[in-house]
Amino acid sequence: MGRTLPSITTEFEQEQASFARFRRALRRSDQLALDDLFASARNHLAAAAYAANALPMETFLLAMLLEEHKEVMRLRTLVEQVTGKNE
Amino acid sequence: MNECRGWLLDLYADEKDGVVLWFIGKKGERLRLHQPFAVIFSLAGPPKSLRAAWRWLREQPENPELGRSEGHDLFLAEPVTLLTVKVASAAAQPALFKRCAQVFPDLVYYDADVQLCLRHAVAYGTFPLADCSVAYDDNNLIHELHVLDSPWKVDPESAPLRCMTIEPDCDPQHNTPSTIQVTYNKNKWDFPVNPVKPLLIDIGAVLRHYDPDILITNWGDTWLFPMLLSESERSGIPIPLNRDSRQGILYHHEKSYFSYGQIVYKGQQIHLYGRCHIDRKNSFLFKDGDLEGVLESSRVTALPIQTSARTSPGTGISSMQMVTAMRNQILVPWHKQQVERQKSALDLLHTDQGGLVYQPIIGVHTDVAEIDFISMYPSVMVRCNISPEIPPPTFLGSNEEPGLIPLTLKPLLDKRVAIKLALGKMHSWDPRHKRYKAASAAYKWLLVTCFGYLGYKNARFGRIESHEAVTTWGREALLLAKEAAEDMGFTVLHMYVDGLWVKKEGIDRPEQITPLLDEISKRTGLSIALDGIYRWVTFLSSRMNTKVPVPNRYFGFYQDGSFKMRGIDARRHDMPAFIVDTQMGMFNILGRAETAAQIQALIPQALDLLRGRLNDLHAGRIPLDQLVMGQHLSRELAAYKTPSPAARALMQLQAAGKDKHPGQRVRFLYIRSGEGVFAWDLPQKPDPLTIDVAYYRKLLIRAAGTLLQPFGWNDGRIKEWLSGSLNTEFASYRQEGLTAQGRNMHKLVSPTHFPTA
Repeated sequence: MGRTLPSITTEFEQEQASFARFRRALRRSDQLALDDLFASARNHLAAAAYAANALPMETFLLAMLLEEHKEVMRLRTLVEQVTGKNE
Repeated sequence: MNECRGWLLDLYADEKDGVVLWFIGKKGERLRLHQPFAVIFSLAGPPKSLRAAWRWLREQPENPELGRSEGHDLFLAEPVTLLTVKVASAAAQPALFKRCAQVFPDLVYYDADVQLCLRHAVAYGTFPLADCSVAYDDNNLIHELHVLDSPWKVDPESAPLRCMTIEPDCDPQHNTPSTIQVTYNKNKWDFPVNPVKPLLIDIGAVLRHYDPDILITNWGDTWLFPMLLSESERSGIPIPLNRDSRQGILYHHEKSYFSYGQIVYKGQQIHLYGRCHIDRKNSFLFKDGDLEGVLESSRVTALPIQTSARTSPGTGISSMQMVTAMRNQILVPWHKQQVERQKSALDLLHTDQGGLVYQPIIGVHTDVAEIDFISMYPSVMVRCNISPEIPPPTFLGSNEEPGLIPLTLKPLLDKRVAIKLALGKMHSWDPRHKRYKAASAAYKWLLVTCFGYLGYKNARFGRIESHEAVTTWGREALLLAKEAAEDMGFTVLHMYVDGLWVKKEGIDRPEQITPLLDEISKRTGLSIALDGIYRWVTFLSSRMNTKVPVPNRYFGFYQDGSFKMRGIDARRHDMPAFIVDTQMGMFNILGRAETAAQIQALIPQALDLLRGRLNDLHAGRIPLDQLVMGQHLSRELAAYKTPSPAARALMQLQAAGKDKHPGQRVRFLYIRSGEGVFAWDLPQKPDPLTIDVAYYRKLLIRAAGTLLQPFGWNDGRIKEWLSGSLNTEFASYRQEGLTAQGRNMHKLVSPTHFPTA
């Protein structure tokens, strides 16, 4: 079955591959953090496909930001529980 | 004048008799009746070419009756001027049309290649096994024919078919059969293949005596009937495979073709006249739903039983569309003419999408219900009135008159929903249960294919914009369902095209889901049903990255103890029985867990099973046939750059004088020597000592890892544990296991297998 447009997964992989040179020049510890960022964006591929943005990297960046914010919220709750403070 | 009430079994063209119809009378008689049946097809094009065609047709030996009229092409707003060609003999029409198309290739042809059975269905409402009443004279000429039946009846009176099974004692591809087994009701005969003369006489005698309506065979298309027919010709002993002695045998040749990105092989076919031949090994539907499935699909598509057993559901659904079109005075084009409408890049970006497939939340979950839209895409087509001649809908619904596709689909969809609902309330011992199941499966394929055919480039009534509209409104329905679930306090774990997995604390009874189902039905206008509530379900991550979810790899147990698994080795067709059985064995052990918390306690048992099976493998205790892999050939042998294992096995087969074609399965064993594979269908026996034990071990550990990975046991950890270098804390699990599972655990978990911390 031929597809006229690449699937969202293919587009995602192409975008990730286009940063190969950037990744190569990073320190190993930073490379792993970058991989984590891309992996977290994968959680929202379905939503990115539905959005059908002509520049999908924008959507992927937002997806990374979304996952980061979820993590911040989770950690904030945790800190509040530990310190017993509610700012 | 004679009268008969009975079921229509077979229908075909005859040069002398027009159309021959075989009936199974209510009194048990088998009748060969006939009637004259003229066939009409039409030509359209520039007036000059039409006049030339007229002059040419006038001179043809078929002596067709020519006329001028107007007709309705579904894709044209204005009526088309037609040259109509009426051929008195149905048997002569295909040849005349073929010659005409060769002489006038630029004309547009309508109703030209429609099968005779479909034309008859349009004229009289006939379909295979329809309950009919006929009046005929002493020459068996039909004077009146009335169909007293409808294909949409849920419980039609079933015809008393005489079914005979004929099968060789082994796969002729693998070995040379020594006997042919014939079964009729409770009678069974074994006829030796050699000498062949008594075989022909015996099978001939059984056929004459019992006169079966349906012959069910194994490899009848590819080996059995060709062998019997050629032997019969050589020895001069007639074999009455056909019921109609005036007809020959109809052969369809083998072929390989591309479908849905896969190469498919279709073997040679042998069609009989007056009785039906179904080859179990060459039938798509028989595997899925038994004879009942074939008969049901035949009734609704109006295709002959022998054809519907062998064709893909795609042919079935296009036949139904043709019948609907002709009944509504719409011309059936020979070739599709419309192309994709021009659209902007942005439009393409928005429309060229498939179903909505989510990334599930990885891990083990409880309190989960799975809900599915019933036949989502066909329902969307009917509800939104999606048809190539109608502009794509702008909302989840429609105000227009139903188009061709919804007209074709609606009765089928309604019948499937009625059967599905009845099945839900029916016990499995109910005599109707098997037939309902088979019918529901057969209709499912027809309905699913209808969606695909809207976008298929050669479909006569396809249009890519309609195809895209179906997925667009499918996505919309799924998102509406997600919103409804979230509004009602559910967490949506996963969504997959037409199904949702929703979680809410304390969900364990179907009634708790009913309000959600009602709400979704209200918002979307589509029917949705509960597939089941899980005791636990686990969504797996990618093998490469454990943080990345994959949409179609999950497994779990429902509350009634049944299970569902997708994307797991045990579901793959190429896996050997050894891997499948072991993985299923381990899976069933996990299935004993009533709650997710109990799973950990069962892991020692699952690993124990794995170790036992690996020991069997190393000790050579696994029968070789359980290690056979089966892979499909994706191309001709010469086209392989680096031959796959299947291709290497095929080379061995070819050297032994056996051949296979693209799309066919090649069975082989992995061995350590030579080319690394040993073709299973070679005449010589494989040496058990050469089996590549390490490879099978790797496969099995991988399969075990897939299953246990969500519980902290990936391939690496399993390997460490097997090598004894991993100290585990199974002692405590075993204690929990004991309390959970009772005393029998002693037998299952041998302490020697589990080093304690």
